[in-house]
Parts: sequence; C-alpha cells; structure tokens
Amino acid sequence: MAAPTDDGAQHDAPPVNTENANILPTTTFNWYHQLDLIMGENKRRNKIFPPPMGIPTPERTPEELRIQSFFESCAFKTGMSCVLGFALGGAFGLFTAGIDPNITGTETPTMKLVWKEMKARTISYSKNFALIGAMFAGTECLIESYRGKTELLNGTLSGGFVGGIIGLRAGVKPAIFGALGFAAFSTAIDYYLRH
Amino acid sequence: MSSLTQEEQLKLISDLEIEMMADMYNRMSSACQKKCVPPRYKDAELNKGEAVCIDRCVAKYMDIHDRIGKKLTSISMQDEETMKKIQGQMPQPTPK
Repeated sequence: MAAPTDDGAQHDAPPVNTENANILPTTTFNWYHQLDLIMGENKRRNKIFPPPMGIPTPERTPEELRIQSFFESCAFKTGMSCVLGFALGGAFGLFTAGIDPNITGTETPTMKLVWKEMKARTISYSKNFALIGAMFAGTECLIESYRGKTELLNGTLSGGFVGGIIGLRAGVKPAIFGALGFAAFSTAIDYYLRH
Repeated sequence: MSSLTQEEQLKLISDLEIEMMADMYNRMSSACQKKCVPPRYKDAELNKGEAVCIDRCVAKYMDIHDRIGKKLTSISMQDEETMKKIQGQMPQPTPK
C-alpha cells in the first residue's frame, strides 16, 4: 500500500499550478493613478445618468426636450400673449362699439357707417391690448429668467416698467403714475390668480 | 491589496465610480431643490424661474465637482511624487 511519504519536512501549502499565472498580469494598486482615472483630467465617464428611483419613466428624447423648452421660452410666451391680447381687445372693442358708438351727426347712421366705426374701434382696441399684453408678458418672462425666482415681485416690476414706458409718451409725471398704477394692477391680478 | 489583477482593479474602481456618481447626484438634487424650489406646492409643474434656477444650479455643481476633482488628483500626484523622492533618498532600513 502506498502511503504518502512523510519525511517530516514542513510544507506550507500544496504546490500551486503556476503555468497560467501570467495571463492576468498583476500590478501594484496605485491609488492615485486610479483616482485620476475617475476624477482627473482624462476621466472616461463624462455623462452621468440619474440612478433609477421612484416610478421608472422612459428617458425623454431630445426632440421632446426641445419642444418643451420651446413652449416654455420667453419668445413663445410673448407671442402667445400678443395673440390673446389681440383677440381679447377685438372682443372688448366690439362690445364697447356696440354699447356706445362714437357716431356724430343727426341723421340715422347707415349700416356702412356703423360698420366702419365698429371696425376702427375694434382694430384700435385690439392693437393696444396686443401691444400691452406682449410687452408685459415679455418683460415679466425676462425678469423671471434673470432673477431665477417665481414670486409676485416679478409681476410688480414688469408692470411698473410697462406702465412707465406707456406713460412716458405724455411726460414724466404721467409716466410715474402710470408705472405705479400698472404695477399695482398687475400685482392685484397676479395675487388673485396665483395666491 | 497590492497585487490585484487588472480586472479586479477595474471592477473596484468602477464600483467606486458608480457610488461616487450616485452620491453626487443625490447631494446635487437635494441642494438644488433646497435652493431653487420654495416649499409652496400650488402647482405641479415647474415654473420658468424655478426651471432656470435648476439649470444654473446643476451646471454650477457639475463645474465645481469637475474642478475640485482635477485639483485633488493633481495635488495627490504631486504628493505622491514628493513621497517617492523622500523615500528614495532615505537610507533603506537594514533587515535584521
């Protein structure tokens, strides 16, 4: 019976098969070099993806982001305000022209005359409302983008600015009164709508 | 620890990097939310001012992170070289 020979010598470990040891080269672990790969000048990963948490939603495509940013942009808000102001001013002008027409003369006005007067007043009111709406929306959006906060103060500041510009056509004092009045008006409307 | 294979080192560093990125994301989102979004939740959508503020906050945070990382690694490399020089100049202790 072949017994394992025990010659009394000390063996630390069973002999290791070192034939394939050089396939995976081992190098000393240089901490600073590895840290440089993560955080240094030539780091590999430049895009950071948010870790999935909550309800998983699909990542939004660049087109969707572009469309969303367009609909939130200051230019779109100004244009939208202009169009809506035009429509509202038209309705308002039509209404007031129907109630209180500005027709001089003693004989009964013909339909053509009434229609002409109505059209003039509608167009005038529309243009005014559109201009005021566009200016107010534009300045409010710009002020809010600059400040980075969403508060009632943005409406106040932009109302003051627009009121001042409109009143400046008649002088400095009407400009100041117009600024204060329009600022107060826009603050009140904002407070009622948002607070 | 000093003789890990290349693959093991890569795995270790990748894990570390992922953890670092996730931690940075969490801190960044909590800091920017604290700074930009006041706790009044009347509206579900982000307003224009809040969206603009968050864009700026994220850009600044990433910039700070990049710069500090680069500075840290450059200082660490310098320290390491200095240490190596010092160790090279010191007389080696004789084994007893």
